[in-house]
Amino acid sequence: MALFPIQGIYQDDFVVLLVPIDTEDPMTVVAEKIAHHAAGVRVPPASGELRIKYQGELLDPEATVVDAGVPPLGVLQAVAE
Amino acid sequence: MPALRRSDWYDLARDLNWNLSYVTEDEAFPEVMSNNYGITPNEKWWGWDEPYKVSYREYVHNQHGKDASVYSVNSVIARSRMFEELDPGWKSAIVAHYGAIAVPEYLAGLGESRMGRFGRAAAWRNMALFGTLDETRHGQIQTYFPYTLLDKEPRMDWAHKALHTNEWGAIAARHLFDDMFTANDAVSTAIQLTFTFETGFTNLQFLGMAADAMEVGDLDFGALISSIQTDESRHAQQGEPTVKILVENGYADVAQRLVDHMFWRSWHVFALLTGLSMDYYTPLEHRSHSFKEFMQEWIVKQFLDQFRDFGLEPSWYWESHFLPELDWYHHALHLGVWFWRPTVWWNPDAGVSPAEREWLEEKYPGWNDTFGVYWDTIGDNLRRGEETKTLPETFPMVCNMCQIPVVTPAGFRAGKLESPEPQIHIHEGRQYVFCSEPCKWVFQLNPARFAGHTSVVDRFLGGEIQPPTIPGALEWMGLSPEEMGQDATNYAWAFEGFEAPGAAAS
Ligand SMILES: [Fe+2]
Ligand SMILES: [Fe+2]
Repeated sequence: MALFPIQGIYQDDFVVLLVPIDTEDPMTVVAEKIAHHAAGVRVPPASGELRIKYQGELLDPEATVVDAGVPPLGVLQAVAE
Repeated sequence: MPALRRSDWYDLARDLNWNLSYVTEDEAFPEVMSNNYGITPNEKWWGWDEPYKVSYREYVHNQHGKDASVYSVNSVIARSRMFEELDPGWKSAIVAHYGAIAVPEYLAGLGESRMGRFGRAAAWRNMALFGTLDETRHGQIQTYFPYTLLDKEPRMDWAHKALHTNEWGAIAARHLFDDMFTANDAVSTAIQLTFTFETGFTNLQFLGMAADAMEVGDLDFGALISSIQTDESRHAQQGEPTVKILVENGYADVAQRLVDHMFWRSWHVFALLTGLSMDYYTPLEHRSHSFKEFMQEWIVKQFLDQFRDFGLEPSWYWESHFLPELDWYHHALHLGVWFWRPTVWWNPDAGVSPAEREWLEEKYPGWNDTFGVYWDTIGDNLRRGEETKTLPETFPMVCNMCQIPVVTPAGFRAGKLESPEPQIHIHEGRQYVFCSEPCKWVFQLNPARFAGHTSVVDRFLGGEIQPPTIPGALEWMGLSPEEMGQDATNYAWAFEGFEAPGAAAS
Protein backbone atom coordinates (compact mmCIF):
# COMPACT_ATOMS: atom_id res chain seq x y z
CA MET A 1 0.00 0.00 0.00
CA ALA A 2 1.66 3.20 -1.14
CA LEU A 3 0.54 6.38 -2.76
CA PHE A 4 1.73 6.52 -6.35
CA PRO A 5 1.39 9.47 -8.76
CA ILE A 6 0.52 8.93 -12.40
CA GLN A 7 -0.33 11.21 -15.30
CA GLY A 8 -3.89 10.44 -16.25
CA ILE A 9 -5.78 11.27 -19.41
CA TYR A 10 -9.48 10.59 -19.54
CA GLN A 11 -10.80 9.83 -23.01
CA ASP A 12 -11.82 13.04 -24.81
CA ASP A 13 -10.79 15.29 -21.90
CA PHE A 14 -8.59 18.33 -22.65
CA VAL A 15 -5.84 18.15 -20.07
CA VAL A 16 -3.26 15.77 -18.57
CA LEU A 17 -3.96 15.29 -14.86
CA LEU A 18 -1.83 14.44 -11.87
CA VAL A 19 -3.74 11.52 -10.36
CA PRO A 20 -2.73 9.91 -7.08
CA ILE A 21 -3.40 6.17 -7.06
CA ASP A 22 -2.32 3.28 -4.86
CA THR A 23 0.31 0.72 -5.84
CA GLU A 24 -2.21 -2.04 -5.13
CA ASP A 25 -5.02 -0.60 -7.26
CA PRO A 26 -5.98 -2.85 -10.17
CA MET A 27 -6.33 -0.99 -13.48
CA THR A 28 -10.12 -0.99 -13.11
CA VAL A 29 -9.70 1.18 -10.02
CA VAL A 30 -7.00 3.31 -11.65
CA ALA A 31 -9.44 3.99 -14.50
CA GLU A 32 -12.12 5.05 -12.04
CA LYS A 33 -9.71 7.33 -10.25
CA ILE A 34 -8.85 9.08 -13.51
CA ALA A 35 -12.49 9.21 -14.56
CA HIS A 36 -13.48 10.79 -11.27
CA HIS A 37 -11.82 14.07 -12.31
CA ALA A 38 -13.30 14.29 -15.80
CA ALA A 39 -16.33 12.07 -16.47
CA GLY A 40 -19.49 14.06 -15.89
CA VAL A 41 -17.22 16.95 -14.93
CA ARG A 42 -16.03 18.15 -18.33
CA VAL A 43 -16.97 15.31 -20.64
CA PRO A 44 -20.02 13.05 -20.63
CA PRO A 45 -19.15 9.70 -19.01
CA ALA A 46 -17.95 7.29 -21.67
CA SER A 47 -20.24 4.37 -22.35
CA GLY A 48 -18.66 0.93 -22.15
CA GLU A 49 -16.01 -0.57 -19.94
CA LEU A 50 -13.06 1.65 -19.09
CA ARG A 51 -9.64 0.25 -19.85
CA ILE A 52 -6.17 1.60 -19.21
CA LYS A 53 -3.83 2.17 -22.10
CA TYR A 54 -0.13 2.45 -21.41
CA GLN A 55 2.45 3.03 -24.15
CA GLY A 56 -0.12 2.11 -26.77
CA GLU A 57 -1.16 -1.22 -25.15
CA LEU A 58 -4.29 -2.02 -23.15
CA LEU A 59 -3.28 -3.30 -19.73
CA ASP A 60 -4.82 -6.29 -17.98
CA PRO A 61 -7.73 -4.92 -15.88
CA GLU A 62 -6.45 -6.81 -12.83
CA ALA A 63 -2.83 -5.65 -13.13
CA THR A 64 -1.37 -3.05 -10.79
CA VAL A 65 1.17 -0.39 -11.77
CA VAL A 66 3.83 -2.65 -10.27
CA ASP A 67 2.71 -5.65 -12.36
CA ALA A 68 2.62 -3.53 -15.50
CA GLY A 69 5.97 -1.83 -14.85
CA VAL A 70 4.51 1.68 -14.86
CA PRO A 71 6.98 4.17 -13.35
CA PRO A 72 5.95 7.10 -11.15
CA LEU A 73 4.31 9.70 -13.40
CA GLY A 74 3.81 7.14 -16.15
CA VAL A 75 1.19 8.32 -18.64
CA LEU A 76 -2.02 6.28 -18.41
CA GLN A 77 -5.02 6.83 -20.67
CA ALA A 78 -8.48 5.77 -19.53
CA VAL A 79 -10.34 4.71 -22.66
CA ALA A 80 -13.76 3.14 -23.22
CA GLU A 81 -13.85 -0.23 -24.90
CA MET B 1 17.46 77.35 -29.95
CA PRO B 2 20.46 75.00 -29.96
CA ALA B 3 23.30 76.33 -32.11
CA LEU B 4 23.80 73.00 -33.85
CA ARG B 5 21.26 70.73 -35.43
CA ARG B 6 21.14 67.24 -33.92
CA SER B 7 22.37 65.63 -37.11
CA ASP B 8 25.51 67.76 -36.93
CA TRP B 9 26.73 66.29 -33.67
CA TYR B 10 24.69 63.17 -32.98
CA ASP B 11 26.96 60.53 -34.51
CA LEU B 12 30.04 62.00 -32.90
CA ALA B 13 28.41 62.16 -29.48
CA ARG B 14 26.91 58.71 -29.48
CA ASP B 15 29.70 56.73 -31.10
CA LEU B 16 32.23 56.88 -28.30
CA ASN B 17 33.87 53.55 -29.00
CA TRP B 18 37.49 53.05 -28.08
CA ASN B 19 40.06 50.28 -27.99
CA LEU B 20 40.72 48.86 -24.56
CA SER B 21 44.27 48.82 -23.22
CA TYR B 22 44.01 48.47 -19.44
CA VAL B 23 41.82 45.37 -19.60
CA THR B 24 41.18 42.68 -22.16
CA GLU B 25 38.00 42.56 -24.19
CA ASP B 26 36.92 39.48 -22.27
CA GLU B 27 37.38 41.25 -18.98
CA ALA B 28 35.32 44.22 -20.10
CA PHE B 29 32.68 42.10 -21.83
CA PRO B 30 32.56 38.68 -20.13
CA GLU B 31 30.69 36.09 -22.15
CA VAL B 32 28.10 35.55 -19.44
CA MET B 33 27.16 39.23 -19.69
CA SER B 34 27.63 39.66 -23.41
CA ASN B 35 28.04 36.64 -25.66
CA ASN B 36 29.82 37.72 -28.84
CA TYR B 37 29.12 34.33 -30.44
CA GLY B 38 32.60 34.39 -31.92
CA ILE B 39 32.35 37.84 -33.51
CA THR B 40 35.63 39.34 -32.43
CA PRO B 41 37.45 41.71 -32.12
CA ASN B 42 34.91 44.08 -30.73
CA GLU B 43 35.36 46.62 -33.57
CA LYS B 44 33.17 44.32 -35.64
CA TRP B 45 30.26 45.46 -33.51
CA TRP B 46 30.92 49.15 -33.91
CA GLY B 47 28.85 49.41 -37.06
CA TRP B 48 25.77 48.81 -34.91
CA ASP B 49 23.34 51.51 -36.06
CA GLU B 50 19.98 52.17 -34.49
CA PRO B 51 17.16 53.22 -36.78
CA TYR B 52 15.66 55.63 -34.27
CA LYS B 53 17.77 58.57 -33.17
CA VAL B 54 17.10 60.62 -30.09
CA SER B 55 19.29 62.79 -27.89
CA TYR B 56 19.17 62.66 -24.12
CA ARG B 57 17.70 66.16 -23.94
CA GLU B 58 14.93 65.21 -26.38
CA TYR B 59 14.35 61.94 -24.58
CA VAL B 60 13.81 63.62 -21.22
CA HIS B 61 11.58 66.25 -22.77
CA ASN B 62 9.42 63.62 -24.52
CA GLN B 63 9.17 61.34 -21.51
CA HIS B 64 8.24 64.18 -19.22
CA GLY B 65 5.42 65.11 -21.55
CA LYS B 66 4.19 61.51 -21.75
CA ASP B 67 4.16 61.09 -18.01
CA ALA B 68 2.46 64.44 -17.44
CA SER B 69 -0.36 63.58 -19.80
CA VAL B 70 -0.95 60.00 -18.74
CA TYR B 71 -0.83 60.72 -15.01
CA SER B 72 -3.29 63.58 -15.46
CA VAL B 73 -5.70 61.25 -17.26
CA ASN B 74 -5.35 58.86 -14.33
CA SER B 75 -5.99 61.50 -11.68
CA VAL B 76 -9.14 62.70 -13.41
CA ILE B 77 -10.48 59.19 -13.98
CA ALA B 78 -9.67 58.04 -10.45
CA ARG B 79 -12.38 60.44 -9.28
CA SER B 80 -14.96 59.12 -11.72
CA ARG B 81 -17.08 55.99 -11.72
CA MET B 82 -15.48 54.73 -14.90
CA PHE B 83 -13.93 51.61 -13.43
CA GLU B 84 -17.11 50.41 -11.73
CA GLU B 85 -18.94 50.62 -15.03
CA LEU B 86 -16.51 48.51 -17.01
CA ASP B 87 -17.48 45.03 -18.17
CA PRO B 88 -16.44 42.35 -15.63
CA GLY B 89 -14.54 40.36 -18.25
CA TRP B 90 -12.53 43.41 -19.26
CA LYS B 91 -11.72 44.12 -15.60
CA SER B 92 -10.41 40.57 -15.32
CA ALA B 93 -8.19 41.10 -18.32
CA ILE B 94 -6.76 44.24 -16.70
CA VAL B 95 -6.19 42.60 -13.30
CA ALA B 96 -4.45 39.69 -15.05
CA HIS B 97 -2.38 42.08 -17.17
CA TYR B 98 -1.08 44.15 -14.27
CA GLY B 99 -0.12 41.09 -12.23
CA ALA B 100 1.75 39.45 -15.08
CA ILE B 101 3.39 42.56 -16.53
CA ALA B 102 4.09 45.32 -13.98
CA VAL B 103 7.04 43.77 -12.13
CA PRO B 104 8.51 42.16 -15.26
CA GLU B 105 8.77 45.70 -16.63
CA TYR B 106 11.15 46.50 -13.78
CA LEU B 107 13.01 43.30 -14.57
CA ALA B 108 13.20 44.33 -18.21
CA GLY B 109 14.99 47.39 -16.85
CA LEU B 110 17.71 45.00 -15.63
CA GLY B 111 17.97 43.49 -19.10
CA GLU B 112 18.16 46.95 -20.66
CA SER B 113 20.79 48.13 -18.19
CA ARG B 114 22.86 45.03 -18.93
CA MET B 115 22.79 46.06 -22.59
CA GLY B 116 23.51 49.62 -21.45
CA ARG B 117 26.78 48.40 -19.96
CA PHE B 118 27.65 45.27 -21.98
CA GLY B 119 26.20 46.13 -25.38
CA ARG B 120 29.12 45.83 -27.77
CA ALA B 121 28.88 49.26 -29.38
CA ALA B 122 28.55 52.72 -27.85
CA ALA B 123 25.48 53.57 -29.94
CA TRP B 124 23.81 50.45 -28.59
CA ARG B 125 24.69 51.25 -24.98
CA ASN B 126 23.29 54.72 -25.51
CA MET B 127 20.03 53.35 -26.84
CA ALA B 128 19.82 50.83 -23.99
CA LEU B 129 20.19 53.61 -21.43
CA PHE B 130 16.95 55.03 -22.76
CA GLY B 131 15.51 51.53 -22.66
CA THR B 132 16.45 51.22 -18.99
CA LEU B 133 14.69 54.47 -18.19
CA ASP B 134 11.69 53.38 -20.28
CA GLU B 135 11.29 50.10 -18.44
CA THR B 136 11.66 51.79 -15.07
CA ARG B 137 8.86 54.12 -16.09
CA HIS B 138 6.72 51.17 -17.25
CA GLY B 139 7.25 49.42 -13.96
CA GLN B 140 6.31 52.53 -12.03
CA ILE B 141 3.29 53.48 -14.04
CA GLN B 142 1.90 49.95 -14.09
CA THR B 143 2.17 49.62 -10.34
CA TYR B 144 0.85 53.14 -9.72
CA PHE B 145 -2.29 52.89 -11.88
CA PRO B 146 -3.56 49.72 -10.23
CA TYR B 147 -2.66 51.26 -6.88
CA THR B 148 -5.16 54.05 -7.60
CA LEU B 149 -7.83 51.38 -8.16
CA LEU B 150 -7.24 49.46 -4.94
CA ASP B 151 -10.36 50.77 -3.23
CA LYS B 152 -12.43 49.55 -6.16
CA GLU B 153 -10.65 46.24 -6.72
CA PRO B 154 -8.41 45.00 -3.87
CA ARG B 155 -6.81 42.40 -6.14
CA MET B 156 -5.12 45.24 -8.01
CA ASP B 157 -2.36 44.73 -5.45
CA TRP B 158 -1.39 41.67 -7.46
CA ALA B 159 0.25 44.15 -9.83
CA HIS B 160 3.02 44.18 -7.26
CA LYS B 161 2.35 40.93 -5.49
CA ALA B 162 2.04 38.35 -8.26
CA LEU B 163 5.68 38.02 -9.25
CA HIS B 164 6.66 37.65 -5.59
CA THR B 165 4.46 34.58 -5.14
CA ASN B 166 4.47 30.95 -6.22
CA GLU B 167 1.19 31.36 -8.08
CA TRP B 168 1.58 29.12 -11.13
CA GLY B 169 1.02 31.83 -13.74
CA ALA B 170 3.55 34.00 -11.93
CA ILE B 171 6.05 31.12 -12.04
CA ALA B 172 5.41 30.78 -15.79
CA ALA B 173 5.96 34.52 -16.29
CA ARG B 174 9.10 34.54 -14.13
CA HIS B 175 10.57 31.50 -15.89
CA LEU B 176 10.01 33.10 -19.28
CA PHE B 177 11.28 36.55 -18.37
CA ASP B 178 14.31 35.24 -16.47
CA ASP B 179 15.23 33.28 -19.58
CA MET B 180 14.54 36.26 -21.86
CA PHE B 181 16.18 39.15 -20.00
CA THR B 182 16.70 38.94 -16.24
CA ALA B 183 19.30 36.18 -16.62
CA ASN B 184 20.32 36.67 -20.24
CA ASP B 185 23.43 38.16 -21.80
CA ALA B 186 23.29 41.47 -23.68
CA VAL B 187 23.55 40.10 -27.23
CA SER B 188 20.95 37.39 -26.69
CA THR B 189 18.70 39.88 -24.90
CA ALA B 190 18.73 42.21 -27.89
CA ILE B 191 17.54 39.38 -30.11
CA GLN B 192 15.21 37.63 -27.70
CA LEU B 193 13.67 40.54 -25.81
CA THR B 194 13.76 43.40 -28.27
CA PHE B 195 13.66 41.67 -31.66
CA THR B 196 11.49 38.66 -30.88
CA PHE B 197 9.27 39.62 -27.97
CA GLU B 198 8.89 43.38 -28.28
CA THR B 199 9.04 43.94 -32.02
CA GLY B 200 7.28 40.65 -32.66
CA PHE B 201 4.60 40.51 -30.01
CA THR B 202 4.14 43.28 -27.48
CA ASN B 203 4.51 46.34 -29.68
CA LEU B 204 1.66 45.07 -31.85
CA GLN B 205 -0.29 43.81 -28.88
CA PHE B 206 -0.09 47.17 -27.14
CA LEU B 207 -1.37 48.91 -30.27
CA GLY B 208 -4.31 46.50 -30.34
CA MET B 209 -4.94 46.73 -26.61
CA ALA B 210 -4.93 50.52 -26.63
CA ALA B 211 -7.59 50.49 -29.34
CA ASP B 212 -9.64 47.86 -27.48
CA ALA B 213 -9.40 49.83 -24.23
CA MET B 214 -10.79 52.93 -25.94
CA GLU B 215 -13.53 50.78 -27.49
CA VAL B 216 -14.72 49.45 -24.14
CA GLY B 217 -14.39 52.89 -22.53
CA ASP B 218 -11.34 52.22 -20.36
CA LEU B 219 -9.62 55.54 -20.99
CA ASP B 220 -7.23 55.00 -18.09
CA PHE B 221 -5.79 51.76 -19.43
CA GLY B 222 -5.93 53.02 -23.00
CA ALA B 223 -3.83 56.10 -22.16
CA LEU B 224 -1.38 53.98 -20.17
CA ILE B 225 -0.86 51.38 -22.81
CA SER B 226 -0.40 53.83 -25.68
CA SER B 227 2.09 55.77 -23.62
CA ILE B 228 4.08 52.60 -23.02
CA GLN B 229 3.82 51.54 -26.63
CA THR B 230 5.56 54.70 -27.86
CA ASP B 231 8.62 53.78 -25.74
CA GLU B 232 8.45 50.17 -26.77
CA SER B 233 8.45 50.93 -30.48
CA ARG B 234 11.69 52.88 -29.95
CA HIS B 235 13.69 50.60 -27.67
CA ALA B 236 12.54 47.46 -29.51
CA GLN B 237 14.72 48.69 -32.38
CA GLN B 238 17.85 47.43 -30.65
CA GLY B 239 17.05 44.04 -32.09
CA GLU B 240 17.44 44.74 -35.78
CA PRO B 241 21.01 46.10 -35.78
CA THR B 242 22.09 43.22 -33.51
CA VAL B 243 20.59 40.62 -35.82
CA LYS B 244 22.25 42.38 -38.77
CA ILE B 245 25.70 42.11 -37.20
CA LEU B 246 25.24 38.41 -36.52
CA VAL B 247 24.00 37.79 -40.06
CA GLU B 248 26.72 39.90 -41.72
CA ASN B 249 29.38 38.01 -39.82
CA GLY B 250 28.06 34.64 -40.90
CA TYR B 251 26.14 33.80 -37.75
CA ALA B 252 22.60 33.78 -39.13
CA ASP B 253 22.20 30.34 -37.53
CA VAL B 254 22.82 31.82 -34.08
CA ALA B 255 20.25 34.57 -34.65
CA GLN B 256 17.81 31.98 -36.02
CA ARG B 257 18.19 29.75 -32.99
CA LEU B 258 17.77 32.61 -30.54
CA VAL B 259 14.62 33.75 -32.34
CA ASP B 260 13.18 30.24 -32.66
CA HIS B 261 13.77 29.60 -28.97
CA MET B 262 12.15 32.80 -27.77
CA PHE B 263 9.36 32.98 -30.33
CA TRP B 264 7.98 29.67 -29.10
CA ARG B 265 8.21 30.62 -25.44
CA SER B 266 6.64 34.03 -26.09
CA TRP B 267 3.86 32.42 -28.06
CA HIS B 268 2.81 30.21 -25.18
CA VAL B 269 2.61 32.97 -22.60
CA PHE B 270 1.01 35.26 -25.17
CA ALA B 271 -1.69 32.65 -25.84
CA LEU B 272 -2.32 32.42 -22.12
CA LEU B 273 -2.66 36.15 -21.48
CA THR B 274 -3.75 37.70 -24.74
CA GLY B 275 -5.60 34.71 -26.18
CA LEU B 276 -7.95 34.59 -23.23
CA SER B 277 -8.45 38.37 -23.16
CA MET B 278 -9.25 38.73 -26.83
CA ASP B 279 -11.53 35.74 -27.36
CA TYR B 280 -13.24 35.37 -23.99
CA TYR B 281 -12.79 38.35 -21.66
CA THR B 282 -13.31 41.30 -24.02
CA PRO B 283 -17.05 42.03 -24.30
CA LEU B 284 -18.46 40.53 -27.48
CA GLU B 285 -19.75 43.82 -28.88
CA HIS B 286 -16.26 45.32 -28.68
CA ARG B 287 -14.29 42.53 -30.31
CA SER B 288 -12.85 43.80 -33.57
CA HIS B 289 -11.07 40.55 -34.42
CA SER B 290 -10.46 37.09 -33.03
CA PHE B 291 -7.15 36.17 -31.41
CA LYS B 292 -6.38 33.93 -34.38
CA GLU B 293 -7.06 36.78 -36.82
CA PHE B 294 -4.86 39.08 -34.75
CA MET B 295 -2.09 36.49 -34.78
CA GLN B 296 -2.38 35.88 -38.51
CA GLU B 297 -2.78 39.46 -39.65
CA TRP B 298 -0.26 41.05 -37.31
CA ILE B 299 2.16 38.71 -35.61
CA VAL B 300 2.55 36.04 -38.28
CA LYS B 301 2.73 38.52 -41.12
CA GLN B 302 5.27 40.70 -39.36
CA PHE B 303 7.47 37.75 -38.42
CA LEU B 304 7.47 36.42 -41.95
CA ASP B 305 8.53 39.89 -43.15
CA GLN B 306 11.23 40.06 -40.48
CA PHE B 307 12.52 36.62 -41.40
CA ARG B 308 12.67 37.57 -45.06
CA ASP B 309 14.29 40.96 -44.47
CA PHE B 310 17.08 39.48 -42.38
CA GLY B 311 17.72 36.32 -44.35
CA LEU B 312 16.22 34.07 -41.69
CA GLU B 313 13.77 31.23 -42.17
CA PRO B 314 10.40 30.62 -40.56
CA SER B 315 11.11 28.53 -37.45
CA TRP B 316 11.32 24.76 -37.93
CA TYR B 317 8.07 24.29 -36.02
CA TRP B 318 6.17 27.03 -37.91
CA GLU B 319 3.98 24.86 -40.15
CA SER B 320 4.02 21.71 -38.08
CA HIS B 321 3.33 23.07 -34.57
CA PHE B 322 2.86 26.81 -34.37
CA LEU B 323 0.18 27.44 -37.02
CA PRO B 324 -1.94 24.43 -35.96
CA GLU B 325 -1.88 25.64 -32.33
CA LEU B 326 -3.60 28.88 -33.41
CA ASP B 327 -6.78 26.83 -33.75
CA TRP B 328 -6.88 25.17 -30.37
CA TYR B 329 -4.17 25.99 -27.84
CA HIS B 330 -5.60 29.11 -26.20
CA HIS B 331 -9.11 27.62 -26.14
CA ALA B 332 -7.75 24.78 -24.03
CA LEU B 333 -5.85 27.16 -21.77
CA HIS B 334 -8.98 29.21 -21.29
CA LEU B 335 -10.94 26.15 -20.23
CA GLY B 336 -8.14 25.19 -17.85
CA VAL B 337 -7.82 28.64 -16.30
CA TRP B 338 -11.57 28.81 -15.81
CA PHE B 339 -11.79 25.33 -14.29
CA TRP B 340 -8.81 25.94 -11.99
CA ARG B 341 -10.07 29.48 -11.31
CA PRO B 342 -9.19 29.43 -7.57
CA THR B 343 -5.53 29.27 -8.65
CA VAL B 344 -5.51 32.66 -10.42
CA TRP B 345 -5.73 36.20 -9.01
CA TRP B 346 -8.39 37.39 -11.43
CA ASN B 347 -11.97 36.34 -12.13
CA PRO B 348 -11.99 34.27 -15.31
CA ASP B 349 -14.88 35.18 -17.57
CA ALA B 350 -16.22 31.96 -19.12
CA GLY B 351 -17.31 33.96 -22.17
CA VAL B 352 -19.48 31.14 -23.50
CA SER B 353 -23.01 32.55 -23.43
CA PRO B 354 -25.09 31.49 -26.46
CA ALA B 355 -24.16 34.61 -28.47
CA GLU B 356 -20.47 34.26 -27.59
CA ARG B 357 -20.50 30.61 -28.60
CA GLU B 358 -21.95 31.57 -31.93
CA TRP B 359 -19.10 34.02 -32.42
CA LEU B 360 -16.53 31.38 -31.41
CA GLU B 361 -18.01 28.88 -33.87
CA GLU B 362 -17.89 31.47 -36.63
CA LYS B 363 -14.27 32.42 -35.91
CA TYR B 364 -13.13 28.85 -35.18
CA PRO B 365 -15.30 26.46 -37.19
CA GLY B 366 -15.65 23.25 -35.19
CA TRP B 367 -15.29 25.00 -31.82
CA ASN B 368 -18.65 23.68 -30.62
CA ASP B 369 -17.77 20.05 -31.35
CA THR B 370 -14.34 20.30 -29.80
CA PHE B 371 -14.63 22.80 -26.95
CA GLY B 372 -18.37 23.46 -26.67
CA VAL B 373 -18.87 19.95 -25.33
CA TYR B 374 -16.79 20.65 -22.21
CA TRP B 375 -18.76 23.81 -21.54
CA ASP B 376 -22.04 21.91 -22.08
CA THR B 377 -21.10 19.49 -19.32
CA ILE B 378 -19.91 22.27 -17.01
CA GLY B 379 -23.09 24.28 -17.74
CA ASP B 380 -25.27 21.24 -16.97
CA ASN B 381 -23.56 20.84 -13.61
CA LEU B 382 -24.06 24.50 -12.78
CA ARG B 383 -27.72 24.38 -13.79
CA ARG B 384 -28.18 21.36 -11.55
CA GLY B 385 -26.67 23.34 -8.70
CA GLU B 386 -23.56 21.16 -8.58
CA GLU B 387 -20.94 23.87 -8.44
CA THR B 388 -18.46 21.59 -6.65
CA LYS B 389 -18.27 19.48 -9.81
CA THR B 390 -16.98 22.55 -11.64
CA LEU B 391 -14.04 23.00 -9.29
CA PRO B 392 -10.71 21.13 -9.27
CA GLU B 393 -9.81 18.24 -7.00
CA THR B 394 -6.37 17.66 -8.44
CA PHE B 395 -3.73 19.45 -10.52
CA PRO B 396 -2.99 19.40 -14.19
CA MET B 397 0.50 18.34 -15.19
CA VAL B 398 2.66 21.36 -15.93
CA CYS B 399 5.19 21.73 -18.75
CA ASN B 400 8.79 21.77 -17.57
CA MET B 401 9.58 24.51 -20.09
CA CYS B 402 6.68 26.94 -20.39
CA GLN B 403 5.34 26.05 -16.90
CA ILE B 404 1.82 26.09 -18.34
CA PRO B 405 -0.56 23.15 -17.86
CA VAL B 406 -0.22 20.37 -20.40
CA VAL B 407 -3.28 20.42 -22.68
CA THR B 408 -2.12 18.00 -25.37
CA PRO B 409 -5.39 16.02 -25.12
CA ALA B 410 -7.26 19.08 -26.44
CA GLY B 411 -4.93 19.27 -29.43
CA PHE B 412 -5.51 15.59 -30.06
CA ARG B 413 -9.25 16.01 -29.82
CA ALA B 414 -9.10 18.99 -32.21
CA GLY B 415 -7.33 16.73 -34.69
CA LYS B 416 -4.08 18.72 -34.52
CA LEU B 417 -1.90 16.28 -32.58
CA GLU B 418 -1.30 12.61 -33.22
CA SER B 419 -1.47 11.63 -29.56
CA PRO B 420 -3.02 13.12 -26.43
CA GLU B 421 0.13 12.28 -24.47
CA PRO B 422 2.73 14.81 -23.37
CA GLN B 423 6.36 14.74 -24.47
CA ILE B 424 8.50 12.84 -21.99
CA HIS B 425 12.24 13.37 -21.77
CA ILE B 426 14.78 11.85 -19.40
CA HIS B 427 17.81 13.99 -18.57
CA GLU B 428 20.40 12.80 -16.07
CA GLY B 429 17.95 10.42 -14.45
CA ARG B 430 15.15 12.94 -14.02
CA GLN B 431 11.93 12.75 -16.02
CA TYR B 432 10.78 15.98 -17.62
CA VAL B 433 7.30 16.53 -19.04
CA PHE B 434 6.72 18.91 -21.93
CA CYS B 435 3.54 20.23 -23.48
CA SER B 436 4.96 20.24 -27.00
CA GLU B 437 7.92 19.24 -29.12
CA PRO B 438 9.22 22.82 -29.36
CA CYS B 439 9.18 23.16 -25.54
CA LYS B 440 11.26 19.98 -25.36
CA TRP B 441 13.54 21.31 -28.10
CA VAL B 442 14.18 24.54 -26.16
CA PHE B 443 15.16 22.46 -23.14
CA GLN B 444 17.53 20.37 -25.24
CA LEU B 445 19.23 23.48 -26.65
CA ASN B 446 20.70 24.17 -23.24
CA PRO B 447 19.80 21.59 -20.59
CA ALA B 448 22.19 23.09 -18.04
CA ARG B 449 20.18 26.30 -18.15
CA PHE B 450 16.83 24.66 -17.47
CA ALA B 451 17.41 21.31 -15.78
CA GLY B 452 17.48 22.54 -12.18
CA HIS B 453 14.08 24.20 -12.25
CA THR B 454 11.13 22.43 -10.69
CA SER B 455 7.54 22.92 -11.83
CA VAL B 456 4.62 23.39 -9.47
CA VAL B 457 3.85 19.67 -9.84
CA ASP B 458 7.50 18.71 -9.13
CA ARG B 459 7.39 20.83 -5.97
CA PHE B 460 4.07 19.32 -4.95
CA LEU B 461 5.41 15.79 -5.35
CA GLY B 462 8.68 16.76 -3.71
CA GLY B 463 6.85 17.67 -0.52
CA GLU B 464 7.47 21.42 -0.72
CA ILE B 465 3.74 22.13 -0.59
CA GLN B 466 2.21 21.34 2.78
CA PRO B 467 -0.36 20.11 3.38
CA PRO B 468 -0.29 18.41 -0.05
CA THR B 469 -3.86 19.30 -0.87
CA ILE B 470 -5.61 21.84 -3.09
CA PRO B 471 -6.12 24.25 -0.16
CA GLY B 472 -2.48 23.75 0.87
CA ALA B 473 -1.35 24.56 -2.65
CA LEU B 474 -3.56 27.63 -2.88
CA GLU B 475 -2.07 28.98 0.30
CA TRP B 476 1.42 28.17 -0.99
CA MET B 477 0.57 30.18 -4.11
CA GLY B 478 -0.27 33.19 -1.95
CA LEU B 479 -4.00 33.07 -2.58
CA SER B 480 -6.35 33.79 0.29
CA PRO B 481 -10.02 32.87 -0.22
CA GLU B 482 -10.84 36.52 -1.04
CA GLU B 483 -8.14 36.64 -3.68
CA MET B 484 -8.96 33.41 -5.50
CA GLY B 485 -10.58 33.74 -8.89
CA GLN B 486 -14.30 33.21 -9.27
CA ASP B 487 -16.48 33.15 -12.34
CA ALA B 488 -16.56 36.77 -13.53
CA THR B 489 -20.32 36.90 -14.06
CA ASN B 490 -21.39 34.57 -11.27
CA TYR B 491 -22.35 31.89 -13.84
CA ALA B 492 -24.85 34.12 -15.66
CA TRP B 493 -23.64 32.61 -18.96
CA ALA B 494 -24.79 29.13 -17.92
CA PHE B 495 -28.37 30.25 -17.38
CA GLU B 496 -28.77 32.48 -20.39
CA GLY B 497 -31.38 30.88 -22.65
CA PHE B 498 -32.38 28.44 -19.88
CA GLU B 499 -35.25 28.77 -17.44
CA ALA B 500 -33.95 30.26 -14.17
CA PRO B 501 -33.73 27.52 -11.54
CA GLY B 502 -36.83 27.45 -9.35
CA ALA B 503 -38.64 29.97 -11.56
CA ALA B 504 -41.15 27.38 -12.80
CA ALA B 505 -41.94 26.17 -9.30
CA SER B 506 -42.86 29.54 -7.81
FE1 LIG C 1 8.37 48.00 -21.21
FE1 LIG D 1 5.43 23.98 -22.82
